[in-house]
Amino acid sequence: MRKLTCLIIFLGILMHFSISSGTAQETYRIGAAFALSGSIAVYGEGFKKAVDLAVEEINAAGGIKGKKIEIMYEDNKSTAKDCVTAVRKLITVDKVPVIFGPAASSNFMAAAPVAQESKVVMISAEGAAPGLTKAGEYIFRVFPSDVLQGKGISDLCVRLNYKEVPIMYVNNDWGLGLKNVFVENFKKAGGKVTDEIPYDEGKTDYRTELIRATKGNPPATVNLTYIKEGAVMFKQGYEMGIKTQWICGSAAKAPKLVELAGKAIEGIIGTYPVFSQETKEYKAFRAAWKKKYGDEKIPIFGEYNYDMVFLTAKAIEKGGYTSEGIRKALFEVGKGYRGVTGDKTFDQDRGVGSEYGVWTVKDAQIVDYK
Amino acid sequence: MDFVLQSVLNGILAGCIYALFAMGLTLIYGVLNFVNFAHGELIMWGAYFLYLLMEKPLSLPISLALPPALFLTILLGIGIDQFVFKPLRRANRLTLLIAALGLSFFLRNGAQFFWGAEIRTYGFEIKRGMRFLGVSITFNQIAIILTSILCILFLYLLFHRSRIGKSMRAVSDHLELARVVGIDTKRTIRIAWIISALLAGVGGILLALDTNLQPGMGLINLVKAFAATLLGGVGNFWGAFWGGILIGLAENLGVLVISPGYKDAIAFGIMVLMLLIRPATLLGSEESS
Repeated sequence: MRKLTCLIIFLGILMHFSISSGTAQETYRIGAAFALSGSIAVYGEGFKKAVDLAVEEINAAGGIKGKKIEIMYEDNKSTAKDCVTAVRKLITVDKVPVIFGPAASSNFMAAAPVAQESKVVMISAEGAAPGLTKAGEYIFRVFPSDVLQGKGISDLCVRLNYKEVPIMYVNNDWGLGLKNVFVENFKKAGGKVTDEIPYDEGKTDYRTELIRATKGNPPATVNLTYIKEGAVMFKQGYEMGIKTQWICGSAAKAPKLVELAGKAIEGIIGTYPVFSQETKEYKAFRAAWKKKYGDEKIPIFGEYNYDMVFLTAKAIEKGGYTSEGIRKALFEVGKGYRGVTGDKTFDQDRGVGSEYGVWTVKDAQIVDYK
Repeated sequence: MDFVLQSVLNGILAGCIYALFAMGLTLIYGVLNFVNFAHGELIMWGAYFLYLLMEKPLSLPISLALPPALFLTILLGIGIDQFVFKPLRRANRLTLLIAALGLSFFLRNGAQFFWGAEIRTYGFEIKRGMRFLGVSITFNQIAIILTSILCILFLYLLFHRSRIGKSMRAVSDHLELARVVGIDTKRTIRIAWIISALLAGVGGILLALDTNLQPGMGLINLVKAFAATLLGGVGNFWGAFWGGILIGLAENLGVLVISPGYKDAIAFGIMVLMLLIRPATLLGSEESS
């Protein structure tokens, strides 16, 4: 009983501190429900570094109308459940009007309805799922949706003059969604999809699917695959002597695939979202990174996180420190904004566009396709 | 490439893998009268044991690593029986089923603990298959077909031409009665586990050579193997063999007509049909136990 009393008193003190610091409001506070522990913590650390860099730059330049910004980090433990808890805590205890959401589309989408219901703006810098911002008008993304990728793959086929292609795809929300966008765009561009072959995740034998897809020896075959399935498929296709130009998305662009499938994927091509590393914005970012962290190891999606902070700061400046103000201002400040990752104009689904590059595998290395 | 012939070959290949697994399943079922749902994990561990020996620090060549890998799989099989199923020898079938399912999770997560969920390979170079009559086949695939044929012949001879085989059949018919007439039932059961684990190890390694290693590799194929077992009549080796081949062929040829998204539905459809039409294959043995 005494232990319990002690605990309650302790918690009371703790809460008192958090509330008293909350009432001070010397700074503009922004919530960040990041993965700082758990399975994807390795990403979370990188995102945090990128966000910290942006915050430092903004504050050094005088903050927002003289007030500094401060990030309230909340660990989302890399699970959907704790993402919800973290976002809820940021909203109810820290009372922030805007939150940088969790990485991993599924985790983000688990927490998005909480932010939407509380009318708090939540932004994603890494989510690719087409339906990421579906929860409502308060949910934004500064990372391109996979929907755009479907068009990118279609454009690539047209560019390489493949008029008739079969398409294989992983039979889940991601694969099916991407496939539909591809088929729609490819047909619009005058192409013909000869066959659609869904396949299950995690199998060991894809020979049947491969035979069916490459029936009639198509010159090119689109395959929306992950690393694991791709490794098995390309290997089995190679063994069976299937000769077709494989065209993939960005999900297969991984050194692990090259390691697993070896020479079976030589010459494979695919699309991925790119932004120029030659712009003055990018060069400035890289220089600033090197100055702060002493290396040039910019983490994956670090640039998107960096842009997200600047956009948010601009939105607070323009619309005021309220969620409604930020929500409305984001559209205005995003319009024509050239960030490190390119144009950040928000579309009607509160997402951004992107340019797509083409990758290929040459001598067991992933390189840009020319 | 001849698509129909290549599909037939692919069907036979998949079928041989199912058959190898089905034979191990049916053996344990025949002797102990329960479905060992952890058989898929024996398969997976067999493949991973070989991986363990071929990777650093040992870095053995495959010819040297193979015997100890199979030996370790057999030890695991015996261990499973000793620590899980032996204490439950007189338990009812439901208990055994749940124990096997639990064990399956335990072993799968165990492998995940040591090696992670990512996929791995033995690191052999990928080769184009040899070509016959417009069909390509790799050396490894020939090995799969030959090994399954050898295994079924070995089992046939063991069961019908040797004392051990006869005692296994006796134990299968009636455990108590076999004991009464002086058959060493403990030894017989142990031998059944050894053979079952050996079949699992061989099958797992062949499967991993043909594809990749991953903790779920046994489980995905086990369900098909189970369908093959039912199709052939539980406890019947030739049945398991032909059941496996038939399911492999049905899947591979069926997909030429219907969408590959429904590939698994073919195997399960056959399984459900068998349960409806010939439930005696399952229930019959229950009555005798």
